[in-house]
Amino acid sequence: MVSRPLTTIYVMWYRQVKRFIRAKSRLVGSIASPLLWMFFFGVGFASTFNLPSTKEILGGVDYLSFLIPGIIMMTVYFASFVSGISIIWDREFGFLKEVLIAPTSRAVLIFGRSLGDSTVAVVQGLVILAIAYFLVPGLMITTLPLMVVSTFLVALFFTEMGIAIASRMRSMEGFQIVSTFVGLPILFLSGAFYPVDTLPFWMKVLAFINPLTYGVDIARKLLVGVGFFPLYINFLVLCVLTVTLTFIATWIFQRTTIE
Amino acid sequence: MNDVVEIENLTKKFEDVVAVDNISFTVKKGEIFGFLGPNGAGKTTTLNILVTIMKPTSGLAKVAGYDVVKHPDKVREKIGVVFQDTTLDKELTGKENLWIHGKVYGVPSDRLKKSIQKLLVFTELVDWADVQVKKYSGGMMRRLEIARALIHNPEILFLDEPTLGLDPQTRVHVWDYITKLREERGITIFLTTHYMDEAEKLCDRVAIIDHGKIISIGKPEELIRLIGEEVIYVKTISNLRFEEFICSLQKAEFIEEVRLVGGETVRLSVKKASEVIPKIFEVAQKFDIHIQEIRYHKPTLEDIFLHLTGKSLREEEAGPMDHLRIASIRRRGFHG
Repeated sequence: MVSRPLTTIYVMWYRQVKRFIRAKSRLVGSIASPLLWMFFFGVGFASTFNLPSTKEILGGVDYLSFLIPGIIMMTVYFASFVSGISIIWDREFGFLKEVLIAPTSRAVLIFGRSLGDSTVAVVQGLVILAIAYFLVPGLMITTLPLMVVSTFLVALFFTEMGIAIASRMRSMEGFQIVSTFVGLPILFLSGAFYPVDTLPFWMKVLAFINPLTYGVDIARKLLVGVGFFPLYINFLVLCVLTVTLTFIATWIFQRTTIE
Repeated sequence: MNDVVEIENLTKKFEDVVAVDNISFTVKKGEIFGFLGPNGAGKTTTLNILVTIMKPTSGLAKVAGYDVVKHPDKVREKIGVVFQDTTLDKELTGKENLWIHGKVYGVPSDRLKKSIQKLLVFTELVDWADVQVKKYSGGMMRRLEIARALIHNPEILFLDEPTLGLDPQTRVHVWDYITKLREERGITIFLTTHYMDEAEKLCDRVAIIDHGKIISIGKPEELIRLIGEEVIYVKTISNLRFEEFICSLQKAEFIEEVRLVGGETVRLSVKKASEVIPKIFEVAQKFDIHIQEIRYHKPTLEDIFLHLTGKSLREEEAGPMDHLRIASIRRRGFHG
């Protein structure tokens, strides 16, 4: 019945990666936006808040160094969330319809696709990291393997979240609403732009239940040595959340039919 | 087992709308079976149920001997499907599309390679194998989709409106492939269409469906014989004695059936039109009826459809708006 799950996963992964490599404009677009944030927002704010007291609030680093790990995670987060949600197009207008009639487990198909999307998101994050290195040469590159692991966890989590939302969405109209009312708050409440511990209480609560917060915290600790939670807590939380959501999203997706 | 598709009392409801209304039929091994009807008649819904992406509300549907609800995976192994809207991955090349399909269906690598090559030759796409599908023409995409549906050697091929949106020349080309397929592989083909000529040209048997019900089923020749050997259309300028004229035609033994189609046009079913036409003029003269136009032809399925439903087939209105909508959302993007 299930014709070689591993092959299916590989093929679906291959498809996502190949598509990304082929669509050059997508590649440029996905990297341009975080770069603009990094240069204009980052450099602009860094020169405004160039005071000793700011450095203290930020944990002993300048604003640009503080921001860069946030921008990297933002890149990964946007890329994976959008590609997860994009199964809605695949479902209604093409490719997914074709794989839904394949004699293969849908769980395996969608997992393979998620791995592909996550890989693509990680690559985008790493490209931003490479560029950021020229801007702030003090970044700690020795932690790269752990960076790959953490960006991958974040990517997989948000791909699955996108899939879960898209599986329940019946029209394209919902996309804009979701990206505004779910997409942006997750970014703002992640500590990517400002430290979490100085936030008002209610915002802090929201930040702590936001998975992206843990991803940003890991990246900051790894790259500039500043962090809020201990690394192992961050990784533990991310792993548990990602695994759980993968199961939930797969379950929701499996119930998808075309109607 | 001779019947590869068996449908019994199949019904599909969407909330209050009955899309498929208690239909029953079978498709024999090796035949090309056509599902003919206007848009919204329930053709695609029936096909979606047969290819296991929709569940019926009630009734039984078996494909290749397996129940589509109880054993969808068994059914999926045995069928190839070409949907109405393309399901190709346009960013990838033709070959890559075929390769991914074969892999997902578990075709062993060496066989897959041969199969891809053979099908590329069959669909005359060898030169385009390594080109991204988005650069293909409509006809090429359709051919690639047919090739893809055959990669895993299915027993039954489902084609949903295989020539919709293609220019006349390309349509004939696609018909050739379908006919060749049956000749070379002996594969059973189930197709839906709203083109009369397509059904007539390709199909061994045709089921005519309207408002979710099958209103007639049989060989195209048999269906056509329902209204006689030949049909004559007589367009008149009606006068006060028009009714008498009609009555007299109805009584004439050389005419099998008289039907009014439109206010002043009469359709006559006859054995030999060339001999009947002079007689019609005689009758018309008797009642001072002025004949404006007269034409006759061998009946087509179009005539049958008109005969059975009292209306001609509506034209296709595929949704270009939908495609525009997606394009605009994609452009707007996410970063806001």
